[in-house]
Parts: sequence; C-alpha cells; structure tokens
Amino acid sequence: MKTYGTEPGAPTSVQVGISELTVSDGDDTLKSYGLGSCVAIALYDPETEIGGLAHTMLPDGDEAENSDRKPGKYADTAIRALLRRMVERGASYTTVEAKLAGGSDMFEFDSFGDGVGKRNIDAAKAELEKLGVPLVASDLGGDRGRTVEFTPETGTLLVKSSDENGDQGVTEL
Amino acid sequence: MKLDVNALGTFYRMAREGAGLAAGRLTHMTDVETRAGVTKLNFMRGREIRRDFEDSTSKVGVRVELTGAIEGYSVIVFERENALRIVESLLEESATDSDLSDEAGELDEFNEMTRSAATEVGNIMNNGFIDGWADVLETVIDVSTPEFVEGRSADTFFDEVEKAPAGDDLALLFQSQIETVETQVGFSHYLFPERESMAALLDRLRTSGGIEYDKLDGFDRMAERGAEEVAKTATTLTGIDTSVEIRRLNFVSLETIPEQVPDERLVGVAFEFDGVPSGYLLFLFDEESANEIVDAMVPTGAGDTEETDGFGQMGQSAIQELGNIMASGFLDGWANVLDTTIDHSTPEFIHDIGAAAVDPVVIQLGEDQEFAFVFDTVIVAAGREFDCEVYAIPDESDLERALNDLDVDRIEEEPTTAEFQNVTGTGTDGGAGTGTDTDTDT
Repeated sequence: MKTYGTEPGAPTSVQVGISELTVSDGDDTLKSYGLGSCVAIALYDPETEIGGLAHTMLPDGDEAENSDRKPGKYADTAIRALLRRMVERGASYTTVEAKLAGGSDMFEFDSFGDGVGKRNIDAAKAELEKLGVPLVASDLGGDRGRTVEFTPETGTLLVKSSDENGDQGVTEL
Repeated sequence: MKLDVNALGTFYRMAREGAGLAAGRLTHMTDVETRAGVTKLNFMRGREIRRDFEDSTSKVGVRVELTGAIEGYSVIVFERENALRIVESLLEESATDSDLSDEAGELDEFNEMTRSAATEVGNIMNNGFIDGWADVLETVIDVSTPEFVEGRSADTFFDEVEKAPAGDDLALLFQSQIETVETQVGFSHYLFPERESMAALLDRLRTSGGIEYDKLDGFDRMAERGAEEVAKTATTLTGIDTSVEIRRLNFVSLETIPEQVPDERLVGVAFEFDGVPSGYLLFLFDEESANEIVDAMVPTGAGDTEETDGFGQMGQSAIQELGNIMASGFLDGWANVLDTTIDHSTPEFIHDIGAAAVDPVVIQLGEDQEFAFVFDTVIVAAGREFDCEVYAIPDESDLERALNDLDVDRIEEEPTTAEFQNVTGTGTDGGAGTGTDTDTDT
C-alpha cells in the first residue's frame, strides 16, 4: 500500500496520481511518483502563485470518449483543464508559464513505434503552443523514470531521477 | 454466464464509486482524512482468496448480506489493531465524561461498547459501498443487519458465508482499499456476489456478445499452471526454492496498474508478445531479490567486482536470461492450450522506480482500451529474498478473440509440465507448499 507525505513538519503534500490533476497555491507541494513515459505538466502564474500539476498518460483527449470524465489523463485536455481551474481561482491566463518533465522511452518494442513517451511530449508541447502558454523549462525524454515535486508559490519543479547505479540526481526547473 | 468489458467496466465504476462514498462517510464520522485507494475486480479461486487473506494478522470484520439487485455478502475487514485505534478515537470524542478508557489505558480487547462502535463504523462503510453500487446500477439493494467477526483465519470470515467460493471455484471478487491519509490505516472491502445474481446483472449490462465465463475460468486455470511453471523455472535456474504465493486475474482500469507497483526502485525484465493474444509481460524484482538472483546465477568472483547495486553487464544478462526462460514457460503454456503461436520479443532490462517501468506498457495499451485484464502473480522463496511480481497484460480485443476460440476441453488434455509433488499440505501453511525440487544444477 502506498504511503503519503507524513513527515512531521512537512508542508501539505498532495499526491497527483496517474491521470489526475490538481490545482493549488502557496507552499503546498504537488507530487507525482514514478513517471516513465507519462508526462508531468506543471502550469503556474508567478503573480498570483497559483499553479497546478497534471500526471498525463496519453496524448490526445479530443479523440477519446472519456476525456470529460478524466481530463487529467490526456496531455491536451489536462492543459486546458489546469488553465481553466487556475483562472477560476484567480490566476491570469496571460502570465501563466509551463514546465514539463517525463516522457521517457525505456523500452524499444516494435509495437511502440516512435515511442510512447515521445508522443506524449509532442502532444503537450503542441497544446501549449496552441494556447500561447510559454514553455519555460523542461526535463524530457531519455530512458529513466522520474519523480516530480511542484510548488506553486515558487513555480519550482523538482525532478528526481536515478541513474543505472542507483545514484539519485535532482534537477531543479 | 457471459461477461464483456462494458459490463465489467460498469462494475469497476460501481466499486470505485462505492469506495469513494465509504471513504467520505468515514471521514465525516471520524474527522480523519481518508481516500479511496486501489479498487480491483479480481477473479480468484476460493483457495487463493483464503491464502491471500491469511497474512497472520488478527482481523475484525463487519459482514452484511445483500439482497435485491445484487445478492451476496459485503465484508469490511480491518486489522484488529487499526480497528481498535479507530474505535478508541471515536469513543474518546463521544465519551463526555469518564465512560471508558480515560486513564490512558489503551484498549486491547473489544468489549461490548467498542464492539458495537466498530460494528457501526463497518456498517456505515458497507452502506457507503452499497449506496455507490445502487447509484451506478440505478436500483435498490437491501442490506441485512451487520454481523461482527473477529479472528485470524479466513474461515472465520468466509466459511459461514453461504455460497462463498469453494477451493476451486473462480469467483468474482470486488476489492477496495480505503486509506487514512495521516495514520495510514487501510481497510479492505470484499464483495462476494452470488453467481446467479451476477449472471443476471452481467446480462443486463453487456453490450456485446461477450466471453463465456467458463472460458475465462479455463484460461485462468491455464494461467495458474503457467505461474507454477515460472516458479519452477526460477527454482531450477537460481537454485532458490520458489513458489507461487499470490495469483489472480484482475480487471482494472489501466492507470491503476502502475499504482499497484511498489514505490521503490525495482529491477525487471519486460517483453512484448505477439499472437492471439498479444500484449506485454513484466517480471519485477525488488533490488535485494535481484541481487540474490545475480549472486545465485553468476559464478562467484565474476560479478563481484562490479558496483554492487549497479547490476553490471553480468548481472543484467543473468536477470535477462532468467526472465527470458520464465517468459517462454509462461507463454508456451498459453499457446499450447490456445493451439496457436505466441512469440515474444527479446528481454528489455529495467532498473528504475516501479511505476516508471510499467507506465509505458499501460500507455501503449491505453491508446485503444480503458481497462485491462492483468494476470498478476507473486513468486516468493521461503526464508530467502526472492520476490518476483509477474504481470501479463494482454491486449483486450485479442484476449477476447483468444478466449472465444478457446476449447475448454483442451485445457485438461494439454500436458502440464509443472509437477506437483507435495500437495497434501494445502491450507495448513500459507504459501510454499508445492514443487520442492532440490536441484544441483547451478
């Protein structure tokens, strides 16, 4: 069974599971564990310190029947849902910035074509561009898994990854 | 009885809805923040349910009988310690004066009052689940008065349940977890629907021709043998005496699959397989087990100079080789019974956070399906580190095709390569019972 952020004194930490999205503000941390080919999309408005994190799994929600029910599952619908919820909370659409992490391709199976991670990355980037949200930082691709932690207050996206020897690397975006 | 993905999908939503309502009511009642954890539809045989249940902790349960749209039993199970803790905190709040344990004495037995409080908690949660199902099914389900059960063995909880699945019956079981956010207390919920009522519901919800339940049952029996075969292969190759601990067929939404994998770095081997059915097969080991395997398979001295937890070239090939042979054993069994050919790719080695190893597969399947059947097996070794989780996830439409073509009679005819030497002790010890080949060939 999973455990949740219960370290004493730690700020509230919300786990954003696969296909979920969460909008928050201030020093809450939003976490997604074990992204392989999934893409974490972090949007935030530096002025209001409102931000959100989505743990998306597939590229194209407009094609899918259930994207109304699960907007966080698809890169395109997740970005729109995050933006909408942030604006509802008081964020200003024009100042929102984006950071992305994930989209690895760890297996080279024939059935995977160009790579399932790559498809997600392309979809996320395309949707951001369509909506005019600047992508200010990213840690994408490769063949390693990542765990991300996002703090809306600062817009910091911490990306933890480990190499083959088990050494943990942390990248701050 | 026939089922299809649409009907099972509705069941799945129903179980999730129920778990959400139950979690909400628990929060309301105790002021403890809770959330619904993993929900699964399991197809399990009676003996596997019992084996899975008996992890040697004392448990308490609250059981109700259902009639109406669903007939069967609904049971909330918590670990005894957790139940006491919850009840304690509940009673502290309501006990205005000095009704009970106010002199800091921790409860360690259920008395009349704590028992009835626990029953109440369980009942409210049971009702949460049942209301959730009734909502999704847009129907009425009647509930009997709750019954408090306390004990360690599965018998206490399930044997009185009329029509609880017998040892070899493949039952459809709904399992949900509810977790309290702060204190990490988990609850399990089991629903044992009666077969006839399930069949009627499935008929109502089905939108396609569907799969004969007997065929699913047959396929699962074959998978059971495949799992035994994998354990046997592992024993032969590593010299570590392994056995199948858990085995079940799950029906879950795809995104649940990575959530079930431990949140730690795992070592694994992944395959894609092609044929009818096609799909993916993963073997995942925790790091300690992987190290143990490398030690067992790589001649001493040869692998030791490498960074110890980096799984150098030698270690990787050892694990890949093991994975390769286990994969062949697993899939050959399927192919034999289905009278077809299933090819598998070369092994892909992975050493990463568990969920990250699984999500690429889930994503690829997710292009065309929302749910998946997962053949889920855990292989362990008595007294040594060897924990291997096996996930076989077939493409849903291929699986349906394969099942429809399945000749159930063939299953019995096909030779089983696994040998059962020691099956007399079933039920006495929870696990390591079968296939004790002592081998010398490493």
